[in-house]
Amino acid sequence: MPTKKRSNVLSIAATVLAGFSLILFSGVLDPVQAAGIGKDGTIVAKKGKAKTLDELIAMYDSSSCIECHEDTHNEWANSAHARSVYGTGRTAATFKTAFTNGFMSWAYSGVTDPNDVQVEHLMGCAKCHLPQLADATDAVAKEFVGEIFALMDANSKGDTETFEEKKELLLKLNINCLVCHNRNAIVHKWTDGYPQAGVVFGSSDGAHDDPDFPIARTSPIMGEAIFCGQCHGLGPNLELDNPTQCATAYGSYLFSYIANGGDQNCQECHMRESGLGHDMQSYRSQVMADKAIDWHVDTRPMVWRDGNKISPKLMVDVSMTNKAGHGIPDG
Amino acid sequence: MDEEGDEIFTDERLYMPVPQQFGRTQKMGRGPYEKSGLVADTALHPGKKTHEHFEILFPNEEGLTNSKMDVKVQLWYLPYGNMDTEPFLWKEFTETVEVDLSGK
Repeated sequence: MPTKKRSNVLSIAATVLAGFSLILFSGVLDPVQAAGIGKDGTIVAKKGKAKTLDELIAMYDSSSCIECHEDTHNEWANSAHARSVYGTGRTAATFKTAFTNGFMSWAYSGVTDPNDVQVEHLMGCAKCHLPQLADATDAVAKEFVGEIFALMDANSKGDTETFEEKKELLLKLNINCLVCHNRNAIVHKWTDGYPQAGVVFGSSDGAHDDPDFPIARTSPIMGEAIFCGQCHGLGPNLELDNPTQCATAYGSYLFSYIANGGDQNCQECHMRESGLGHDMQSYRSQVMADKAIDWHVDTRPMVWRDGNKISPKLMVDVSMTNKAGHGIPDG
Repeated sequence: MDEEGDEIFTDERLYMPVPQQFGRTQKMGRGPYEKSGLVADTALHPGKKTHEHFEILFPNEEGLTNSKMDVKVQLWYLPYGNMDTEPFLWKEFTETVEVDLSGK
């Protein structure tokens, strides 16, 4: 009996010590140097955080890929990934409403003016629409918000020249080759290593004919659903101080599609079977729209009698089966 | 629609996950920055068959002996939740149905 008591005391002490250790280390370490070997070899660690939007665009400039991968580039250019910030204009507008109806209206966000915004405020949207913003300073967050406001102001004033200028800039902020094939190519960084500068991740290992990216390496997850799940998410982004919720397709994929016996992944449907490759599409693509839903309508006319009174009556049956790997609507 | 082009029946169903505002109460959230959780979910789910049945009784005050009806069923994708902003017609079914009302 005395031994058991001692054991309880020891375990409580260990818990308190662990908590104390966390307090000591939090806020002291540079995020780039935080836990994990090889974090100092990533693109942002090598180049340092971008201080301007132009620097951020340059940090993940993928234009050198076009020379050898023109077809793939052209596929991608037609996809929503190529305009993840501007979208059809509505995405850019939603960045603004996230600011005006969101941060500025919340008592504890610390934002009362566009000059108060920090990268952290924008990551609720940027986590997926511009994940590389995490590799920029707060000055870039302010500059970004300024550009969004300028775009929307130009739109409301009918200032076409300024609108097109801002639109062109925002279109350079996107989910391009290096975002997927480097920055976000590895999910389990302690298991598989941090994505290193100079490496293009894909489906093979060896040399890569690009002086800035001379190494090709296999990404263990690029052909897996979890790769897409980084953005086409699970539900509320609970890791954020103020969670957002946009796409939840990966959650639906895991807990509805797989749970009901589904055995394909995102890439199989959206890239390979569709034949669309890097032009990843959804309902506005005829091939994806046809794949996603079985839709049947049956009509059955009859003569309805109410005493001596007869009337035409129609029975209509509509049946739909979602054949996609996620709920509809979702994204 | 009847033979004169008048709409005599219309109905609609909504299929969507209904996001919860800030993960609390029964209030629906709208912008992604305030959406967290779900109040309800009527979306089309993977592998699941959704069936809708409509029974439409047409007026026959005039004592018609024959009736033609144009039936239109549409499936719309409304990315912004209304028909004003980028609505997308996903599926459409049209048919003219004739009902013979003659005889006893």
